[in-house]
Amino acid sequence: MTVADPVDRLLATARGEPVNEPFRVTGVMVQYYYVCKRELWFESRNLEIDRENATVVRGTRVDETAYSDKRENLHLGMISLDLLDDGRVVEVKPSSTLTEPAEMQLSYYLWYLDRVADIQRDGVLAHPRERKREPVELTTERSEKVETAIRGIHDIVSQSSPPPAEEKPFCDSCAYHDFCWC
Amino acid sequence: MDRNYHVFSDGRLERSDDTLRLVPDDDGDKQYIPIENAEAFFLHGQIDFNTRLMSFLNDRTVALHVFGWEDYYAGSVMPKRGQTSGKTVVNQVRAYEDSQHRRQLAAAIVKGSIHNMRTNVVYYNGRDHDLDSVIEDLEAAAARVDESLPIDELMGIEATAKKAYYRSFNQILPSEFQLTQREYNPPPNEINSLISFGNSLVYANCVSAIRATALDPTISYLHEPGERRYSLSLDIADLFKPVLADRVLFRLVNRNQISESDFETELGSCLLNEAGRKTYTKAFEEMLERTVEHPTLNRKVSYQYLMRLEAYKLKKHLLTGEAYDSFQRWW
Ligand code: SF4
Repeated sequence: MTVADPVDRLLATARGEPVNEPFRVTGVMVQYYYVCKRELWFESRNLEIDRENATVVRGTRVDETAYSDKRENLHLGMISLDLLDDGRVVEVKPSSTLTEPAEMQLSYYLWYLDRVADIQRDGVLAHPRERKREPVELTTERSEKVETAIRGIHDIVSQSSPPPAEEKPFCDSCAYHDFCWC
Repeated sequence: MDRNYHVFSDGRLERSDDTLRLVPDDDGDKQYIPIENAEAFFLHGQIDFNTRLMSFLNDRTVALHVFGWEDYYAGSVMPKRGQTSGKTVVNQVRAYEDSQHRRQLAAAIVKGSIHNMRTNVVYYNGRDHDLDSVIEDLEAAAARVDESLPIDELMGIEATAKKAYYRSFNQILPSEFQLTQREYNPPPNEINSLISFGNSLVYANCVSAIRATALDPTISYLHEPGERRYSLSLDIADLFKPVLADRVLFRLVNRNQISESDFETELGSCLLNEAGRKTYTKAFEEMLERTVEHPTLNRKVSYQYLMRLEAYKLKKHLLTGEAYDSFQRWW
């Protein structure tokens, strides 16, 4: 079966229906779509990243330690998300800059749960460093934004070349930095 | 930074908890070598090791480069990388099989190699040496490099350039160290021996650099794949030999830090002895640690890291189609 719309293709892939060209979107791909489209392209090609990179290590550590006592990790097809003990989906961010990427990653999880597994949940965006939590709800508007992002992601990753490098303030802490600029 | 450790003594290398221990044959003191930040171990002596050590090095993605007595580089034991990349290898092979693409990459390598030879000659020209004719020959060779030429012609141009380049050695170096002819196995005199040893160190470092990128080290463009085990390393090493090995050689010889007592000569072969290898290796490692401001990374990078970047550049080219410009010394 050939499915034209990337959103339908993603849903068919997630539900295990036969599709000619499976299309997967992970949470981190949604995040990169808002952070840097070149990084998204690299990520989609499974380019190895520099694990030694200090920022990557820092980001991972915050993720691993925050709320570790009451979190449950849920793997569901192409996504892997964290649930609080009250069942809300939590997305932890090392800092409060770049809120949109984190918010959209979380929105994507909520959308995915709803569309693929018919599970309706609310989300929490947590900044442990600042002791802040913001509720995130899957409104119609957010749903549409998620679907627009999925189509945008599809456009980027189906190009044979990545978008050209553009210097951004966070390039210095990007795991692809040297690969990108060498 | 990623460090190389050179082991010159004979003995046994073993795992001892989370470090490595060298137990010398001559009942000397045991040495503990930290494995943190180790890029590779270079074994110059007769070393025993077991599978326990191998899996330890594999876990820590540290390579072993084995240096033999006669032919210097004998082989490498490479860690399996956690992230091998099928896609990278597929693209590497595609570029190799597309003869236009292969020529384009081979030409870029030859161009860079000649450029880097020329930079050395220009540096010594004017310092009491008249090397104008060598520079002319190198420029003539560089002008002939063209992406439409078959590989053997590109190889031929590089060989011609090298011949001209080695002519300059006799002027740059004192009269007791003359390079009458470049010969390999075994090297017949001191200079040949120094060139061979230096080149094998560059080669092994390129093997390490390639390993870090999930490129397949056996698929190459200028050299024929499989010609020697890691032919991609031969491609990349060509770019770095003048910058690393030859500069170390000129410096050591011209400052009398290497003398005839650093060699063992017998039956037409001349090999660096242990003292000579130690001196050379020390200067070579210092060269690897030197840094230079990188034009696009906006920071200083070590000469050693330049080899890693070269592998990144090639990989990026193969996966993204963005242009590959070979490393040409810019400072
Ligand atoms: S270094 Fe900058 S441009 Fe390159 S992938 Fe990272 S964020 Fe994007």
